[in-house]
Amino acid sequence: MNKFEEKKENSWLDAPDFEIVDGELLDVSTGEAIEQFEEETKIAPKKQIQKSKIKNQRPKINAQKTNSKTQIQYIFAPVIFLTVALLGGLRLEMPDNNFLFLKPALICLIFAAVLLVLFVRAGLIKFDGWFSEDFSMIENIANGGVLISLFAATVQIFNSLLPETGLPFWIISFCFFWTLTMNLFAEFDTKKIIKSLGALFGIAFLTKYLILSYLTAPASESFWKGILENPTQEFFTYLFDLPRFSNGTGYIQFFTVIFYLFGLFLLPQRLSEK
Amino acid sequence: MKKKSIQIFSILLVAFYGLFVAWLYWAEPKSLGEVSAKAKETVENVTTKGQVVIGTYEVDQAKFGEGLTAFRADNFVLARDAFARADPERRDAKTQYYIAYSFYRQGFGRVSNDDDLFKKGLEQANFVIQLDKNYKAADENLKLQSPVELKNELEEGLKVTASDFNPLKVLRERK
Repeated sequence: MNKFEEKKENSWLDAPDFEIVDGELLDVSTGEAIEQFEEETKIAPKKQIQKSKIKNQRPKINAQKTNSKTQIQYIFAPVIFLTVALLGGLRLEMPDNNFLFLKPALICLIFAAVLLVLFVRAGLIKFDGWFSEDFSMIENIANGGVLISLFAATVQIFNSLLPETGLPFWIISFCFFWTLTMNLFAEFDTKKIIKSLGALFGIAFLTKYLILSYLTAPASESFWKGILENPTQEFFTYLFDLPRFSNGTGYIQFFTVIFYLFGLFLLPQRLSEK
Repeated sequence: MKKKSIQIFSILLVAFYGLFVAWLYWAEPKSLGEVSAKAKETVENVTTKGQVVIGTYEVDQAKFGEGLTAFRADNFVLARDAFARADPERRDAKTQYYIAYSFYRQGFGRVSNDDDLFKKGLEQANFVIQLDKNYKAADENLKLQSPVELKNELEEGLKVTASDFNPLKVLRERK
């Protein structure tokens, strides 16, 4: 046998497509045994196909999960935050229910900046998971867009919850300032901060849209008529310089606060992975 | 959808929705119906500003014609409104001069002048001088041809002097 023939005979061993089966050959004489063997050999490939199908489906399911997670983070969350930014300064005027868009006071921007720092400290936002030189430029810009929408929503949530004018504005501003400053030095985790914010915003909402709103006199045709009809409310409205808004304002702001907290719940610690 | 496509969509979404929210707080519409009217107004403003930037801004001649007709019919309020709409960017000396002149003619009185209108006319005349120092009106119906003359007339009208008590003053003519 020359070298060429030897290579030809052994070439099947080197071929990658063939599987090497370790085992002994069986001598089978009856037909039944052949049938059993055939049945076994028929079942075995089916299971293998099913397993391989499941294995093939898993990456698809994972991809779908990742896709929907990305959509929530990059589309759903900014939409919620920008809706909060839209509704946060919206009030309805008392007699005609006309829209009134109130621009945020400077203190709202300061509170929002402090709250974002608090988010970073509490681990709600891991900064290196949002911006990094390892990410592509589009990814960094998209993450920046989500962060800007969060900041805008935070500014407007303070705009929503702070009374517009007078003594209540300064009192509640001081309460917010005190709470946020104290929280800056406290130990927080992500769940605690969302619960804490829920409580803080809840109390502020109740104060503004239930207690102060109850003390505000309804719009009347004349000053004297207002005093005769609602003397106590007119007194408190004058004393605290309370603005007169329609009842619909409270309903709008209730959903604004709910949307904001829901948006925070959706927000991941890291928007991108390195 | 690929992650990159979603991110690009997100950037566009944040930009447009954010601009819309900012615009709402700037325009302050009073109702949903007013949103479209304000949007139209904003688009017109942006278009005019764009024309100024690229140097293609022109006075609306039709509205200017309406203003001129009203001016000649002594309907000065309507005239000023039409002139203002013809030159929303206040860049045309001719149109602005007519506005100043309308304040003079409306405020002129044989016995006494309307000081408020004369003051507005004076401000407007100064504005015309700022726009074009050498402006001269081509309209023969205007006896005061330059903004400096108009300014002098308005200043004289605002002063209280002994000549104001001259009974012959009632015979003077409006220029």
